[in-house]
Amino acid sequence: MKIFHWLNHCCLFSAVVMTLGCSNAPKNVPSTGPAPQPAPSFYKVDPATAGSLTGTIKFSGKKPSPKLIDMREDPACVEAHHGKAYDQSLVVSSNGSVANAFVYIKAGLEGKNFEAPKSPVTIDQSGCWFRPGVLGIQTNQTLQVTNSDPVTHNIHPMAEVNREWNHSQGPGDAPLSRHFIKPEIMIRVKCNIHSWMHAFIGVLPHPYFDVSRDDGSFEIKNLPAGTYSIAVWQENLGTQEQQITVTPHTNTSANFTFKGK
Amino acid sequence: MGTPLESWQTGLAGTFPAALLPPGNTSAPLRRILLPAFILGFLGLLGGCKSPVSERPIGTAVEIKPPLGLPPVPIPPDNPPTKETIALGRRLFYDVRLSKDNSLACASCHNPTLGFTDGQQISRGVGGMGGVRNAPTVANTAYLPLQFWDGRAVSLEEQAASPIADPVEMNQTHEVSVSKLGSDPKYQSMFRDAFGSKQITIGRVEKALASFERTILSGDSAFDRYAFGGDKSALTQAQIRGLALFKDPQKGNCATCHTIDRTYALFTDGKFHNIGEGVGDEDTFKDVGRYHETRRETDQGAFKTPTLRNVANTAPYMHDGALKTLKQVVDFYAGGGNSNPYLDKEIRVIQLSGQERSDLMEFLKSLTGELPPNVGPPGKE
Repeated sequence: MKIFHWLNHCCLFSAVVMTLGCSNAPKNVPSTGPAPQPAPSFYKVDPATAGSLTGTIKFSGKKPSPKLIDMREDPACVEAHHGKAYDQSLVVSSNGSVANAFVYIKAGLEGKNFEAPKSPVTIDQSGCWFRPGVLGIQTNQTLQVTNSDPVTHNIHPMAEVNREWNHSQGPGDAPLSRHFIKPEIMIRVKCNIHSWMHAFIGVLPHPYFDVSRDDGSFEIKNLPAGTYSIAVWQENLGTQEQQITVTPHTNTSANFTFKGK
Repeated sequence: MGTPLESWQTGLAGTFPAALLPPGNTSAPLRRILLPAFILGFLGLLGGCKSPVSERPIGTAVEIKPPLGLPPVPIPPDNPPTKETIALGRRLFYDVRLSKDNSLACASCHNPTLGFTDGQQISRGVGGMGGVRNAPTVANTAYLPLQFWDGRAVSLEEQAASPIADPVEMNQTHEVSVSKLGSDPKYQSMFRDAFGSKQITIGRVEKALASFERTILSGDSAFDRYAFGGDKSALTQAQIRGLALFKDPQKGNCATCHTIDRTYALFTDGKFHNIGEGVGDEDTFKDVGRYHETRRETDQGAFKTPTLRNVANTAPYMHDGALKTLKQVVDFYAGGGNSNPYLDKEIRVIQLSGQERSDLMEFLKSLTGELPPNVGPPGKE
């Protein structure tokens, strides 16, 4: 039932967006359709009921040896990258901390309709590398794609739930603005021109996600009190999930360890 | 002394104000004059105000000899090229009086030193008015079934006078152009030599410009000498590898649209394709291209395949001039263009090594050919 309620909100919101988006609609024409829809009501977190969630992602196996990326296919990339490039699909520190893991609330927020932030999330193509390589974005939030390189890239999010697209971006071209309208974990992004370039985008209908830092830590703030399923995704290690309960004004800890050989 | 034709026109003009009087108020002798005037006026309307001046060239048709690598030039039956029409078209092509403020000629955007393009991303009209498209080359347009990026003109004749009147190009009505040219005695004699009388009509201007443009042919490039001239040393090894990639459907797949025939090569199929250039954030096209003419949904964002002859000298590229270098063009295609609902099925991601991309660019440089010696600005005769 809850999911239907949430979907209902989504439809209502899309309908309003479509109405607003039609700037050329004639004015003062008597409406023959249904009565005007009220503005969507977004869920506002009450700070008095919110807590936070922190933890670290660890890997217990052998630290992978650095794998060099060969960019010689495009000599301009070799030059643009400034130094050696290493495979980033599993970055583990000396104490086993995992960077670039995507942590997010997978369940427990159904029925709450969160407004997309006005500020965009940016992915830059720099040194023939996507920066950042793992990122989260809310549904309908603007993804801004920039190219800081002296070469042409072709960004290609291979979305399966959202619309798949690819777009060429030459040196000095204006940023691209795109949106993902449906939640999707994770969208693999590649560059159609440079085979080694890839990134991952997690799209969620809420703002409760983070990407682990070099020390493996993550933090999710301002989370309404409640019971949630928290999940972590890592490019090579797969996914893990656990149940957690968040209480007001407290920090809940959630740690994950991926076992390795 | 005016010609009989001129006095006829003056006589008719004199009767017209009277023709506007209500018939009941007119005397019988006046009515005798008015009736023929009415009939003449009515016939004029029926004839669509078509000019009675002949627009057929009077001189001896000349043969335009194509250079190595090009087929015979298609000639419309009603406009055989003559020495006189070609010379007249050449003068018109370089004449700034065809623009509103006498600042631009055809050659301003189709500059012979830049392969008959202007080197700009988007061409500028009089007073810096911004156009929306990149100036395509005039070279070898004689072979194209349709003119302009969107194919809106079916002949060079129809194309020729269109930019003169376009508000964002030369911005001068055809009436003004005809009157400005008419005051130049040199043109009077050139039009007389070309068409049999000194009258200037926009139809005559179009025909002369088109005949001149049919002589702007570019061939005899290193590629032509290699492919059609039997000179196997005309291309470098990198260019020969690039040619193979250009033709290979599994690799560059370029020749599918930028055609190479058995005995000649136009490097264009003259058709319209959507490669995704210019698509906006919401899969829409600000410049709908061919769709503007056909209103066929699948023509959204489709533009005419440009020739690749002299391509190394005609940067920037694409209908919107968005790609600055040949490397960007090769990378654009290697990446599969830009996705959109109308993308041509031939556009797909191509796996090309760095060496292969460089070979393709080398091949494109072999398409720089010669231009005839007499297509530049006319001398002071």
